[in-house]
Formats: sequence, C-alpha cells, structure tokens
Amino acid sequence: MFKDITLGQYYKTDSVIHMLDPRVKLAGTLIYIITLFLGKSFFMFIPAAVFLVSMIILSKVPVSYVLRGIKPIIPLIIISSVFNLILTPGNVLVGFWIINITSEGIYMAVFMIVRLLLLITGASILTLTTTPTKLTDGMEMGLRFLKVFKVPVHEIAMMMSIALRFIPILVEETDKIKKAQMARGADFESGNIFKRAKAMIPLLVPLFVSAFRRAGDLAMAMEARCYHGSEGRTRMKPLIYARRDYIAYAIVLGYLGLMIVMAVFGV
Amino acid sequence: MELKTQNLVYEYDSGTDYAKRALDGVDITIGKNEFIGLIGHTGSGKSTLIQHLNGLLKATEGQVLWNGRDIYSAGFDRRELRGHVGLVFQYPEYQLFETTVLKDVCFGPKNRGLSEEDAICRAREALTLTGIDEKYYESSPFDLSGGQKRRVAIAGVLAMQPEILILDEPTAGLDPGGRDEILGRVAGIQRETGSTVILVSHSMDDIAEYVDRIIVIDKGCIAFDDVPVRVFSHVEELEKMGLSAPQITYVMHTLKNAGFNVDTDAITVKEAVDSIMGQIRPHF
Repeated sequence: MFKDITLGQYYKTDSVIHMLDPRVKLAGTLIYIITLFLGKSFFMFIPAAVFLVSMIILSKVPVSYVLRGIKPIIPLIIISSVFNLILTPGNVLVGFWIINITSEGIYMAVFMIVRLLLLITGASILTLTTTPTKLTDGMEMGLRFLKVFKVPVHEIAMMMSIALRFIPILVEETDKIKKAQMARGADFESGNIFKRAKAMIPLLVPLFVSAFRRAGDLAMAMEARCYHGSEGRTRMKPLIYARRDYIAYAIVLGYLGLMIVMAVFGV
Repeated sequence: MELKTQNLVYEYDSGTDYAKRALDGVDITIGKNEFIGLIGHTGSGKSTLIQHLNGLLKATEGQVLWNGRDIYSAGFDRRELRGHVGLVFQYPEYQLFETTVLKDVCFGPKNRGLSEEDAICRAREALTLTGIDEKYYESSPFDLSGGQKRRVAIAGVLAMQPEILILDEPTAGLDPGGRDEILGRVAGIQRETGSTVILVSHSMDDIAEYVDRIIVIDKGCIAFDDVPVRVFSHVEELEKMGLSAPQITYVMHTLKNAGFNVDTDAITVKEAVDSIMGQIRPHF
C-alpha cells in the first residue's frame, strides 16, 4: 500500500557527484535554483540545461530514474500552466466568455513549465546522489553559523534524520496492523469514501500509539547513552573538504557568474 | 471442517532479482479438534505459512483448500474465511484501538455481520475464556498491563468463534508467569470450545506440554509432522535446524546414558519426575 513512498530516493553509483561533500551539493543546488529565477528569457535556460545535463551524466544515474522524480509534480505543472495560460493579460489570441488566451499567456505557460522541470530535476539530482544521512549532516554543518542567532541547528538536523529513519519502520508497522485488522474481518477496500475513511480508524489509532511508544523508547535509549545535544559532540565521519570539492565550488561559481552576466546584459 | 494446503509455494518479490522462496512446496492438512504446534527457527517460513491459511497472502504456486474449495478461486469470500480461521499475530496488543476493552473485542464479530447484542454476547464469552475480569470491560485497553492487553487481543479474534485459531508466538516478550497464563488459557480454550488451535513458536519447551501434533518447518519445507514423542526423537536433525528438543528430553537422555533405565519419551516435567521416581523408589 505504501510501497511507492520513496523519500530519500537515493540511487547508488560510484560517480564523482556521489563522492562530493554534501555541503557542496546543497550549495550547488541552491545556486542552481536561484539562477533559474534570474532571467526572463528562454536563453537563460540554455546554460542551466547544459549544467543540469552534465550533472546527470556525471552522476551516472539512469535518466529514467531522474525523470521519475517529475511524475508527482505533473499536476502542479498542469495547474500552473493553465493559470498562466488564461490569466496573463496581453494580446488576445482566442477569447470566449471570461477566458482569454493571450500570446503572452502561452509564452508564460511554456516558460513556467520549462522552469519547473529544470527546478525539480535539479533538486532530485541532489536527493538521488546523496543519502538522507549525509544530506542532514551537510545541512547541519552548512547552517552552523545560525547558532550565533541561537538556532538549535544540531537538534533540528537530528530531528530530521530521525524522522527520515522512521519512515520505513512506520510503513512496515502499518502493513502489520493492517493485516492484523484484516484477520479480524476489517475491510479496507470496499465502500464509499466515508466508509473507507471510517475503516482507517482501526489502522490509524494503533499506528499513532505505536509511533508515540517508539518515540518514547528512542528518547529513553538516547538518554541512557547520555545524549545531550550538540555541545561537545564529535562525529564518526567528519565532513572534510577534498580537492574535488573546491573544484566543484569553482565550477558552480563560474556557472553563477555566467548566469549573472547574462541576466545583467538582458540576454 | 478441513483446511489443506497443496504444494504451497510463496516467493517474496517474485519476478525480481531479489526473489526469495519463503515456502517451498508445503502440504499440510488440518482437521477438527486438533492441538497443533508449528515450530521453526526464525526465518523458516512459519509466519508466512500461517498468513496463507486465512488468505492474507496469495500463494505464488499451489493451493489452499477450505473444505475442498480453493480460497484463491474467483468468488471465494476470503473475509468470511478469516472468521473461520482466526489468526492472532505476534504482539497482538498493537492492534487494539477502541475506547473500551469490550468494544475492541466486538470489532471482529461485528465485521462478521453480527448485531450489537450478539457481538457483545460473544465478546463477553471470549473475554471470560481469556480470563479478563469484568471490571476491566469498560476501561481503556491502553491502561491494561502487557499480559492483559495480549489476552484482550486474543479475545478479539476468539470472539469471531473461529473453527481454527492460529496464534503466532503468543508468549513473545512475556515473563514466565504471563507465558504460563497465556498457554494455560489457550489449552483451556482448545478443550472447552473443541476448536482446532495452532500454536506457532520457535521454542519446543513452550508447546511440548500442550500440543498433540507438531509440525516442524525448516527453510520453507515441512521437516516433520508427527506426534511430539516421535518428533523429539530426531534430536540431531532438530538441532541442525536451529531448534532443540525440550530440556527435559535432554535430561532423560543423559540419565539413560548414565545407566538409569528411565523413559526417554517423557515430554513434560511431570512425566519425567514419575519416570525418575519409579527408578529411584525400589532402592529405598
């Protein structure tokens, strides 16, 4: 039932992208996303697309896998393009009732589709090449400066990794409870939407109870090991920049520079 | 009433590279008024097997026949079957969800289409059989102790009045007192209701005392299916499967080898004591 949920859709290969420090990849993805919003013309997407395609090739992740990440956002793309299509004022091409399709609308719709596709694909390259653990590690290290503002960076990162860690456990638990209730004659498959929603109660109540129980157990186990947050804590695998990370930073900054120049000169 | 499997095969992730055979040609027949122990090491396929018996899993190959009818055939009501073949999962207390003990136990009978009154009536019966005191009927199932919760959960399946009751490791995680209480209750239920009970376990000591037939499963195949005494005589094969005979069997074998003419077929502690005393008494 929940087998399709793949948060942290990591795809293991031995590529150079996989080996990069997660901080580089996070920064790179952030910069890449920002550059997508710099310009207003299609020409801006050419270097972005080149950048993206090179990353996909370098990562050795099969293209079919990369494209799979687009599937869930298709409804979003459709909705946004429909709104762009009918709500952009300008030169009316087709008009009936209150709906006016303008040439600017078509332009905007296509523009937004390309932008969204580039954005989602770029973001999924990050999650495809970085394990959730490394991702949260990278975020923690990268956002350490926020500690100055009393943001509990380590604690937030810890909560994120625990949450990610618990997803497969809860999926398994759901399956077990579902089977146990089915053995008692529960019916999850038939009936209208209200009947089905009601049938979820015997599934959801035990699931919540068990999630709280597990959380309590985990907290107890962490305290028993004297866990006390980030103060004075060392890591088993500290994040250290290697030469390739500096090269990657240089490439990303070069790309950013190019995009800024293009935006300034209004290409 | 008869439940039968024919050449039952089940593969996890069938058709992929990760395919793994959990069951490999299982043939068993379960009849009326039996008390069966299903024994196997962790990962032997025992939990997979019992999920076929009430149609929760669909066999990759082979058949499960309920009174001669294939349960996977079109038009067979598997929900109805689950009322006849009651399955209590491991740690069943994690399935409790209602606001009161009584309501929770009523869930099963109501799903079988019984009226409110009939369901309550059956729930009371089931709770009496599992030894839950009436004063707990209106309390929240989450306020009970671990052993009580488990007995309420077992009552939840029992209240459907299944003809076959399957319990998957009903004593897991309980202290010796709770263990004896549960097993004693289950034996009582088997006696009083005359239904067939299948106890699933990895420990011979748990079940040796109670059951009158033992099915040993190893790597997805049935290794032995016989009365306890004869199964325990294969001590070496059992040990190869990561199982063991009851501790008392080892004691008796050691005594026999030391020259005492004791009965090595003794299964329960009481039988063993009688046999040993019979050997010692004449010397006084």
